[in-house]
Amino acid sequence: MTTATDDGAEATEPDDAGLGTDRVPAAPNYDGAFDAVVVGAGLAGSAAAITMAREGLDVAMIERGTSPGAKNVFGGVLYTPTVRELVDLDDAPLERYVGEKRFGMLSPDDETAVTLRPGEWREEPHNDSYTVLRGEFDEWFAEQAVEAGATLVTETTVTDLLRDGTGTVVGVDTDRPDGELRAPMVVLAEGGNSLVGERAGLKETADRENVAVAVKEVLEFPDREDAIPERFRLADDAGAAYHYFGEGAVGDAFGGAFIYTNDDTLSVGLAYRIEDAVTGQPKPERTLNRFKSHPAVAPLVRGGRTVEYAAKTIPEGGAEAMPDLVHDGAVVVGDAAGLVLNNGVHLEGTNMAVESGYHAGRTVASALESDRTDAGALRSYPRKLDESFVVRNLEHYEWLMAAAREDKDLLFGELPEAIADAGEEYFSIDRRPKADHAADAKERLLGTVGGWRGAAKLAWRYRKVIA
Amino acid sequence: MSTQPKTPDVDNSTLEDRLYTVKYEDPGESHLDVKVPGFCADRCDTDDCVEVCPADVWRIEDGDDVPTIAYENCLECGSCRFACPYNNVDWEYPDNGAGVTYHYG
Repeated sequence: MTTATDDGAEATEPDDAGLGTDRVPAAPNYDGAFDAVVVGAGLAGSAAAITMAREGLDVAMIERGTSPGAKNVFGGVLYTPTVRELVDLDDAPLERYVGEKRFGMLSPDDETAVTLRPGEWREEPHNDSYTVLRGEFDEWFAEQAVEAGATLVTETTVTDLLRDGTGTVVGVDTDRPDGELRAPMVVLAEGGNSLVGERAGLKETADRENVAVAVKEVLEFPDREDAIPERFRLADDAGAAYHYFGEGAVGDAFGGAFIYTNDDTLSVGLAYRIEDAVTGQPKPERTLNRFKSHPAVAPLVRGGRTVEYAAKTIPEGGAEAMPDLVHDGAVVVGDAAGLVLNNGVHLEGTNMAVESGYHAGRTVASALESDRTDAGALRSYPRKLDESFVVRNLEHYEWLMAAAREDKDLLFGELPEAIADAGEEYFSIDRRPKADHAADAKERLLGTVGGWRGAAKLAWRYRKVIA
Repeated sequence: MSTQPKTPDVDNSTLEDRLYTVKYEDPGESHLDVKVPGFCADRCDTDDCVEVCPADVWRIEDGDDVPTIAYENCLECGSCRFACPYNNVDWEYPDNGAGVTYHYG
């Protein structure tokens, strides 16, 4: 890459710093060689690159890691309806399909859980839900973009956006020598820790109430080959997704924990909002230790050897915290756009990243076809996203996040304990009649939620979960 | 007869052992800093950066009033940036692919 001066003339002095020779060929000039630069080769970036490349655009994907996925972390389940539209999943590095979902409410000592194993999920395409490891999957997905014609540049960090005199984004600056790269459009897919977008004024730093800190371990069972299929009752390539909430999962914080089965490893982790992490909560690593040591969890992870420890921040602000998605010369996609749904029941983000990358890519291609890069010409991207499951789901659950935060102590602390107690009472075996135990169990539950009136209020408030 | 423990044991490895599982290339200089050192000393008594960090990158050692930054441990999650109530964390991506490389992710 070489620097173009503002009037478009190339810098003529070759950069020979450190090479110790004066017979250095002029660095090639890639300015204007690409129609679009994608910042970040994660799932949103690659989805945008695949889409634009197939529309005939010259696309450069710039990835700061040694390979796509090298800097990426997620819980572990990828939902694939849009991925399947974009690429042939037959060769994709999927771990297991999700054949079972389990929701466990943990008090410090108890578990009360609901398990779902629909027969339908055993049939292709397995409800489009697969456990995945990002190190492998992102690399493969980016390769699909390269096969479609995109150019991938790794180990290069975008440090800022370039603008022309009118403020329109006209390219990126990188940490390479002479690292400016000019292109009509920039797709910002840098993830939730959005240094470039913030520096360039495309978004603000998220409030810590709206960001979760997540930690994850990948566990291997070197001495017990059957540990995973046995403990999770798995046949063949079926897998399990266990979600946990309550005090036993993340202590006195707003968040949850998870275990996902990969081919021959487990992904075990948790996430809770930073606001809670800094007030009274033990450090994330210790919260994870405690979750793994919970009596309901320990038998599942015992003997596991940690082969990777990872951390990530998750933008959880929902629809209201989304930044502007289109700017003159730039669009924002994926985690950088805050497209994550994390309400305890549904933990989704990568599918939203892919969907946003796809719509952004389509929009950029059609805007460039009419020679425009202004925000007005890019409006169909946010409009399509609004009409898609992405924003509709975010908006649908906006109220739930707000309500759940307000009811945090009841929902994540008192209620799990009351339900466990009520269950223990209801099924307790002694010489008292069952009817007495049932009455006591009912009283325990009603006492916690504020009687019949409180229960009705609670049911009304959360009716939209299934409505 | 041997006694059975009430709760099964899990061998949680130490943070050092966990961090050792992550492939890391030292960029040579820290990608993390504080913007105004005096601010931490004068105004901050909660050390939220220390509380949130999953990798013990931010530490208050005995007698310190400004955090020590062990940037070589950094998992690049960015939580310290969001946690600092004074927006006093100076965060850069490590250059040219240095820093952590996740194998599984």
